[in-house]
Amino acid sequence: MRKKSLITGVAGLAALALAVSGCTPVAEEGGEFPENDIRLIIQADPGGGSDLSSRALATELEGQLGVSVIPENMPGASGAIAMEYVGEQAADGYTIGFAPVEVAMLNTTQNANVLPENYTFIGQIMLAPGVITVAADSPYETLEDLIAAGKDEALTVANSGAGSIWEAAALGINKEAGTQFTPVAYDGGATAVSAAASGEADAAVSGGGEAIAQGDAVRILGVMHDERLEQISDVPTFQEAIGADIQFGGWGGIYTTKDIPEDVRATLEEAVATSVESDSYKEFQENAGNLVVYKDSEEFTAFVNEQFELYKELLG
Amino acid sequence: MNQLIEGLSALASIEVVLCLLLGLGLGLLVGMFPGITATMAVALASGFTLTLDPVPGLCVLLTIYVAANFGDRVPSILINTPGTPASIATTLDGYPMAKQGKAGLALTMSAFVTAGGVLLSMVIFIAAAVPIATIARDYFRSPELFALVVFGLTVMIGIASNSVLKGLIAGVIGLLIGSVGLYSATGDQRFTFGISELSGSEGVSFLAVIIGLFGVTELFDQMLTHSKSQIKPISALGRWWPNKAEFRSSLKPFAVSSGVGLVAGLVPAAGGDIAGLIGWDRVRRMSKHPKSFGKGNLEGVVAADTASSATLGGSLTTTMALGIPGDSVMAVMIGSMLIWGLNPGPQLFTTRPDLVVTMAAIMIIAVVLSLIASIVRMKGMVKLLDTPNHYLWPTILLFCMLGTYATTNSIFTVVTMLVFGVVGVVLKRVGIPAGPVVLGLLLGPIAEENLARTLVLQQGRGFFEVWSPIALAFLALAAISLIVPMLRRRKGSTLEQKVADELAQAETSALDSYNEKQENTK
Repeated sequence: MRKKSLITGVAGLAALALAVSGCTPVAEEGGEFPENDIRLIIQADPGGGSDLSSRALATELEGQLGVSVIPENMPGASGAIAMEYVGEQAADGYTIGFAPVEVAMLNTTQNANVLPENYTFIGQIMLAPGVITVAADSPYETLEDLIAAGKDEALTVANSGAGSIWEAAALGINKEAGTQFTPVAYDGGATAVSAAASGEADAAVSGGGEAIAQGDAVRILGVMHDERLEQISDVPTFQEAIGADIQFGGWGGIYTTKDIPEDVRATLEEAVATSVESDSYKEFQENAGNLVVYKDSEEFTAFVNEQFELYKELLG
Repeated sequence: MNQLIEGLSALASIEVVLCLLLGLGLGLLVGMFPGITATMAVALASGFTLTLDPVPGLCVLLTIYVAANFGDRVPSILINTPGTPASIATTLDGYPMAKQGKAGLALTMSAFVTAGGVLLSMVIFIAAAVPIATIARDYFRSPELFALVVFGLTVMIGIASNSVLKGLIAGVIGLLIGSVGLYSATGDQRFTFGISELSGSEGVSFLAVIIGLFGVTELFDQMLTHSKSQIKPISALGRWWPNKAEFRSSLKPFAVSSGVGLVAGLVPAAGGDIAGLIGWDRVRRMSKHPKSFGKGNLEGVVAADTASSATLGGSLTTTMALGIPGDSVMAVMIGSMLIWGLNPGPQLFTTRPDLVVTMAAIMIIAVVLSLIASIVRMKGMVKLLDTPNHYLWPTILLFCMLGTYATTNSIFTVVTMLVFGVVGVVLKRVGIPAGPVVLGLLLGPIAEENLARTLVLQQGRGFFEVWSPIALAFLALAAISLIVPMLRRRKGSTLEQKVADELAQAETSALDSYNEKQENTK
């Protein structure tokens, strides 16, 4: 009996799904965008930073656009699968996605078909600025100490993984400050910071939140952003400490297929701009230790192209 | 004392009770469906718990984590398919027991030792989370982790009890599969053949491999042999309650395995799957009748389940005390906690000690509830398997396919699972065991990553500066584990060994006939 009802249930669900998909109205020429539900492709697993950021934004976007914005996880190949997928969709704005900093890196690191010209960038929605951290009992008291020592010997600097933004950041410091840091790949940001805390690596580059969570076990020496972070306001920026404009961060934004109609792009841009300003979205990002940094479609496109060239140089 | 009261009183609300029950139901269910792991369930639930307050939210997530550890043993024992990776080792003795008509006993005992394992491991969390986790971090760095994992790899020989060569071949197959995908030390692609689905850091989906190798292989194998021999339906469950002798003989495996589980839990990246396999092997090696393992020995089930469940407290300790995810479920948990403004790490224990008490209490309540639910509901759940084979097989296959599809939303993962189902049948026919394949796949990448890191760190430093005595000791142990069984095998034909084996056989057959009699008298 139990089994029978289970089967009926499953069959019912399947029928319902069919009915729903069959009933979705087909977009007609000349109608006001959006008429249908919008899919938001997330390049990572449920539960991670990208996923939660995207879902928080999706809730706000629904209110702005008046249709459902359905998050869909498409993890794999460091996000390349989702990004290639978004690039191949119909240019109608009904498939949008969350584009993390990797969108500017994957072509260089993995030879994936992920190029800025394949997409329309709608707007940047968040930024997690990077910091550099040493163990609490490290001989390096300030960023200047660490940079000076790094010029003389090859210090090891932990990061969250090969090909990650934080590996690129360590190489970026080498380039700008003349150090000879050796990046060491770990499995995730927290693991990398704790490698610095235990003294296994001389330092670690990570997102601010991951370093702050380690509390007294580490000393945060510098922030890779144009201003100090609120939670660690006594830590100087790179510009302040060593006079080099070094900025690296895990940013994220919303993008879609290239060549979408201009009015569709404008509608999406407007919706994203308003959603990012909402209190609940702001609170969400602040709790997660990130900054709400907004760039409009034009600025964001220029920024992605700039970052693409930068990482090509650093990681290529 | 104040923190204790504060922490516990946070739990006294209707909302919390409802959340506990919700998590319990979800956890048991996802545990039972092969393919849907506790990690996925917690990840999906975290989308909803975000809107809750931290305490009820933690209730849902932690209870799923615990309950899934009870539910996942059921399909391992009944259909040879691990419900989640944590119960891989349960299949080794659980399924043979079920085939002998002793599924009831296996299920009950499994539930008891799982509860025991989690509770024991929670003692660590409650007693000394911060100091122990700090020791683990400061003394188990890349070189030590590499050595520890190499030591774990020697278990391969153990799982393949019949032939060292076949065990090694199986292990090497696993290591090779593990090398597919993004090489984490350099970011290079290996053996992906330009297939983008293989180019992630995981390469071949682990879940697809284990469901293929265990569940689908068993299914295909049954279908192929169906006409030749009528397989005994597993719905003949036998008795449920263990007798005194069985309880007593379980004590030693329980003790050994809980030790293995506690350590594995503390080590980041090592979860219940690895611990279960290692625990099972350690107990087998210490047993007087190692040959009876893998053929339906109750001690094997006890060993596997204790070790895999004893990792929970350790994982929680590493996660909350250091902010380093102790296993994949905990990685997702960290994400959720950050959103609530709670940063797992050393700071959490100093700023929110009450929260730590609350979490421990949730875990313990979840264990008790899961145990009760398992014992009470098990008979009902098992009835589903009374279905005739021609309905049961397609249903199981369908669930396996749905489960693997859900992991990536990609048909590629389903195809991977089916391919490994066929590969599994071939391996089975030539006598190559699946256990070492999984172990190689699990441990190979961890060993490689840590070795690569150690070698980078080695540059410009002395050998003994990097390789600590702990690391060298584990490497020595690994060497001993490999050599001793080979020597013992040489001596295998001595009279002493023969007598021991015969005695073992006589004992098991006596036990079997005793069991049968008991059943008949019912």
